[in-house]
Amino acid sequence: MELISADKVRAEIDRFWLILSGKSHDKLEDLYAADGIVFTGKAKRPEPAMLAIARRARRAPASASTMAEVGTLELQITGDVAVASYTYKYQEEKMSSGGRSQRNTLYGRATQVFQTDRKGAVKIVHEHLSAAVAPDEGAAKPK
Amino acid sequence: MDPISAAQIKTEVKKFWDAFASKSKSGFQDLYSPTATVFSADGRRSEPGRLMWVRREREFFGPKSSVGAKVGEIVVQVLGPNLAVAAYPFHFSVIRSLPNGSRVQIEVPFGRATQIFQLDEQGAFRIIHEHLSSAEPVAPKELPAEIAPSGAR
Repeated sequence: MELISADKVRAEIDRFWLILSGKSHDKLEDLYAADGIVFTGKAKRPEPAMLAIARRARRAPASASTMAEVGTLELQITGDVAVASYTYKYQEEKMSSGGRSQRNTLYGRATQVFQTDRKGAVKIVHEHLSAAVAPDEGAAKPK
Repeated sequence: MDPISAAQIKTEVKKFWDAFASKSKSGFQDLYSPTATVFSADGRRSEPGRLMWVRREREFFGPKSSVGAKVGEIVVQVLGPNLAVAAYPFHFSVIRSLPNGSRVQIEVPFGRATQIFQLDEQGAFRIIHEHLSSAEPVAPKELPAEIAPSGAR
């Protein structure tokens, strides 16, 4: 069992948000354990991470502008497992047939559980993303 | 040390909701590690478990409040000899007392829970982190002050 370090976890969280905001070409699925479980978006029950990632890839618009801001990180480390919890803001603006629209998650909350795998890589084994207040959705403001 | 079983964790989840619904203050507090962190369903940031106890006792455990929950299928991930994650949907019905004395009825048909349990040195499971949320926006309904709670499920 390889112990997990706070620095590695922070690096993986940074990587996660860089991918989600389109600023990294790394693959989202590389961050997760093959048997990872997630609660994301409006999903009503937990589901395999790989299923949620595939759905997200299908729905992702070709042209979207996104921005993410992560709040203070709290970490609880036990051996090869780290429980990370933090708040975030996420803004997405995209083009669709109906015009330009935006979705702002101002009070996002994240729990991500990381574990070191047999090869020493840090993977997300469990994730719960939610919003304390429903995201603000509507037509994008003119620039 | 014996490995944790999924059945043990499901029993702990049942204990949690039984303690919550029966307003058992000590039973409820015993389920948490003193250093636990919690995202409540409507909390904008995580809070220490101890702070959450005080708030939940005030809002949910008083004579004019009631709590009911129906838990869905529980997915258990055993991460080691003393650590496991439980993830599940739940239907939550509550009458909550607010600090200003008013009461609100809240129905959360699509609640979602993540609870991380750790086996402590005494052999008891404690929640070290909890994240509750709703898949859909929730609209609290204000209740008249004079009407007694009807006993939410």
